Amino acid sequence: MDHLRYFFLLALVSMLGVLACDLEQEVDIDLPEYESRVVVECYLEPGQPFSLLLSRSLPYFSPFPPLNQEFLENILVDSARVEVFYDGRTYELSNQLFFNPFTRKLFNYHSPEKVPFDTLSTFQLSITMPDGQTVLASAQILPVVKIDSLVVQFNESDTLARVLTYFTDDPDVKNYYRRMFHRSSLDSAAVQDFSVDDRILEGTAVFGTGYNYAVGDTIISTLFHLSPDYYEFLESLEDAVSSNGNPFAQPSPIISNLRGTANAMGIFTGISYDRQAIILRK
Amino acid sequence: MYRSITFLLLFLVNWGLAQQSVTISGRILDEDNGETLLGATVLNATQGVGATTNEYGFYSISVPAQDSVRLVFSYVGYQPRDFSLFLFRDTTLNVSLSTGVQLDEVVVQANSYKEQLNSTEMSVEAITTREAKLVPVLLGESDILKTVQLKPGIPSGSEGTTGIFVRGGSNDQNLIVLDEAIVYNANHLFGFFSTFNTDAVKDLKIYKGGFPPQYGGRLSSVIDVKLKEGNNKQFAGSGGIGLIASRLTLEGPIQKEKSSFIVSGRRTYVDIFTRAVNRSKEDNPDFNPIPDYYFYDLNTKINYELGEKDRLFLSGYFGRDVFGVNGDFFDFDFDWGNATGTARWNHIFSPRLFANTTFTYSDYQYNIQNRVTGFSFRVGSNIRDANLKTDFYFAPNNRHSIRFGANATYHQFTVGRLKAGSDDGLVNFSAGQDFSGMEYGLYFSDDIDLSKKLAINGGLRLSGFGNDNTFYFGIEPRLAARYSINDRWVAKASYARMYQYLHLISSAGLALPTDVWYPSSDRVKPQQSHQVAAGVSYILGGQFLLNLEGYYKNMDNQLQFVDGAQLFANDDLEEEFAVGEGEAYGLEFSIEKKQGKWTGWIGYTLALIRLKNFSTLDPNGRFAQESEGFGPFFPVYDRRHDLSVVLMFEASRRLAATATFVYGSGDLRWLAPGRFTIQDIYGADFEAVVPDYRERNNYRLPPYHRLDLGIVFRFFPKWGETDLTLSVVNVYDRRNTFFIYLEPEFPEDDGTGNTIEFPDRIAAKQVSLFPILPSLTWNFKF
Repeated sequence: MDHLRYFFLLALVSMLGVLACDLEQEVDIDLPEYESRVVVECYLEPGQPFSLLLSRSLPYFSPFPPLNQEFLENILVDSARVEVFYDGRTYELSNQLFFNPFTRKLFNYHSPEKVPFDTLSTFQLSITMPDGQTVLASAQILPVVKIDSLVVQFNESDTLARVLTYFTDDPDVKNYYRRMFHRSSLDSAAVQDFSVDDRILEGTAVFGTGYNYAVGDTIISTLFHLSPDYYEFLESLEDAVSSNGNPFAQPSPIISNLRGTANAMGIFTGISYDRQAIILRK
Repeated sequence: MYRSITFLLLFLVNWGLAQQSVTISGRILDEDNGETLLGATVLNATQGVGATTNEYGFYSISVPAQDSVRLVFSYVGYQPRDFSLFLFRDTTLNVSLSTGVQLDEVVVQANSYKEQLNSTEMSVEAITTREAKLVPVLLGESDILKTVQLKPGIPSGSEGTTGIFVRGGSNDQNLIVLDEAIVYNANHLFGFFSTFNTDAVKDLKIYKGGFPPQYGGRLSSVIDVKLKEGNNKQFAGSGGIGLIASRLTLEGPIQKEKSSFIVSGRRTYVDIFTRAVNRSKEDNPDFNPIPDYYFYDLNTKINYELGEKDRLFLSGYFGRDVFGVNGDFFDFDFDWGNATGTARWNHIFSPRLFANTTFTYSDYQYNIQNRVTGFSFRVGSNIRDANLKTDFYFAPNNRHSIRFGANATYHQFTVGRLKAGSDDGLVNFSAGQDFSGMEYGLYFSDDIDLSKKLAINGGLRLSGFGNDNTFYFGIEPRLAARYSINDRWVAKASYARMYQYLHLISSAGLALPTDVWYPSSDRVKPQQSHQVAAGVSYILGGQFLLNLEGYYKNMDNQLQFVDGAQLFANDDLEEEFAVGEGEAYGLEFSIEKKQGKWTGWIGYTLALIRLKNFSTLDPNGRFAQESEGFGPFFPVYDRRHDLSVVLMFEASRRLAATATFVYGSGDLRWLAPGRFTIQDIYGADFEAVVPDYRERNNYRLPPYHRLDLGIVFRFFPKWGETDLTLSVVNVYDRRNTFFIYLEPEFPEDDGTGNTIEFPDRIAAKQVSLFPILPSLTWNFKF
């Protein structure tokens, strides 16, 4: 069967040929025209000052200039009137750049007054844009869901350990969570950061890691309790980012909890979380 | 010139003398292997009337009693046979036709076109296994389902996938039946190959419109695949070795010319090589093992002639795709596949009344198992059917051909079954929904020759679907008409109303094994459509058949997903649905040559499909197109132009060559025209580029085109026949677009630890699936 020998030879050559080909290439494409939209980020964290970032979206291929004052003026929206109403009071957030050196976050509307811890009342946001368009939203601060325990398990055949974060989900209430996990410090990139709803959690729930941590490592586990609005926003953000480059995923427009006439997108939400940090020991 | 085989003079007993006409019935068979020939014709040459064999190979024709008639039996690719008969009573006549050199191929060709023209059926395409084996396909694996997508009006999905979008219908609107059992997912390897092993398939026919009343349950097409019955004359085998898979088919008589069997299997073997690579690199800590993947399928069929009037068929299909990744601390296993079973009984009550009763079983499931030390996670879905149907064919005379029948199907669905937990029992949760439902059908149709020029096929199908809470009822009138303008020109028109009670939950425009079938419920109404089609056919020079056909279809209760739909482990999937309407219209043109050294076809389709008026079932749900007020939108598979050219050249008995060229407008994709920045909360990563998606499917990919060539060298050793099939897919190395993504390119890390980084630029990247791809397959037959 001489031709079988040639057959396998050709098969091998073909497969190598395919492997050697570059199937990805850069192309020029024309995207549809895009009208810039207002983007709002406002997180109400008890004990922290009222801060809000008001920016604008841009056409996808618009250039990225260096991160300087000119760039900030291009991307930030100034001269809006921003107010938060709570418990009969009005907190006016003035238009000033505020960089929090601890969290390394930048805001362009700020009030030095601190967000109260109140899980019963509603906070109302009102933004009037320079052109008179409005952005309206409301939010609550949810009670904290506590982390029950952090369990460190070393693999029998190795020196590395995994960390399990246990908590208890109330089966009678619809809950949404954001799980964050850091090594060393919160300034480092999160090892894990995702949101879940409690339809796949019943009673005792656990988030785990791989066997990636050694004795002496500091790990920080954070459990955020999310409002449905914030969860939907985060999920749509995740879907929007991850569907770019995944032909099997359906893209998602951003789902915001913002109303008003400005066609804005973004989030106005309370932040509540429990955080535990440990240094791994055997 | 026909070769006259036999002259029969049948003097039979006297009771038939009083009759005005007598009926001749029977089967038309392949002389070499005893396979029934479906759609073969019998022509009363004396009177110029004819009949064709039905999908079970049975024919019935009335001729005048006590008069001589000349019957001509023919089938494309076979030598015709004619019989001169003088009959006194109803007679059974089984006729075998043989392949071989035809003395007057043009006449045969014209006759075969004429039968096609005389039929009231329209919007039908058929493909033979011979064509499927010649047409070059990916990695040398012939694929009858992919080949039929080269016919007009049946554009395939994206590059390399088997999603089928017939006349603007979505991928779930195709009724795919294998020996009458429904195949719910006809894909292997995420759609690169279909589940149909060409070696085991006898015939594939696809209805794009003008649906006969015996079919129901889907809006856009019926793909009817029949398995071979097995050689009932002698033991035979065939098979092949390809780049990625091998095939073997064995068939033979159990009792000569009375019963036969066929067993056909194939398996891919890329996993054998990848496992060897993994083993050789297992000491390298930086090496990520290549996942294990293979698929296999097995077809079997047994048929038995119980007597002159009864035949029994048992057939089955089982196929699985298996994917796995195994590591020291985790295992991930994913398998999916179909199983079908068919038990069929043909009974001839009289020469004019034929019945077929079938019991079928279908199962499609996928299972994912994930295990990490101490924890396990399983998810899966499946659909199971048990279906009983009976069909009657009654031919009171040559002007009427009546069909009636009924079926009942029990459906069982498991949607998103999820179980997860820890070994210590502390963590334990589950999700998923179970449904069941009964689907019914009752139909009647009559194919009537009103005159030599005009024939109609009128019928009605009554359908229903019920489960615990709801019952839906559908009245589905079907009408088709044929008007012969002259010997060469024929005009046809049809109307069909269709109901579809099952819906495929698919998160992407592409066919995925994790797509889930979901039943109609009190909130999810059945899909419905009206389709009208009209066309003309013309025989050009006796050798070519030209077809021009236009259609319009509107569809109700079309499903899409709300923005940010959560499909995983969701016990209330209906909250994620948006329901709307669709309309599709187009023109299809084809020119076909069926016989001679050169055969093939050119097909062109101009089409448009539009979806509109969507609203969410959940009052709080959002659907971008409507909430933003953008109005109607086009689905991803909207393809304006679709051209295919297929040429096959039989140079000699030893050499054949084929060429296939396809050109299509690019599919649509949903790209974000804008972007923004999210800095998020403390601890989260700064996201410099978040896409802002606006109108759905707003970007058309570049046109798709490709040329494939194939050449078959045949050898004839003493023990049988072998061939080497060389195919080259994508001859001029066109990089067709599989998908496009927009990639931000960040500067190199400046070492400052600054977590706020903006890209330098954004690049649009196009990903293609394959370059020029030669392959070689060795096939054998004995």
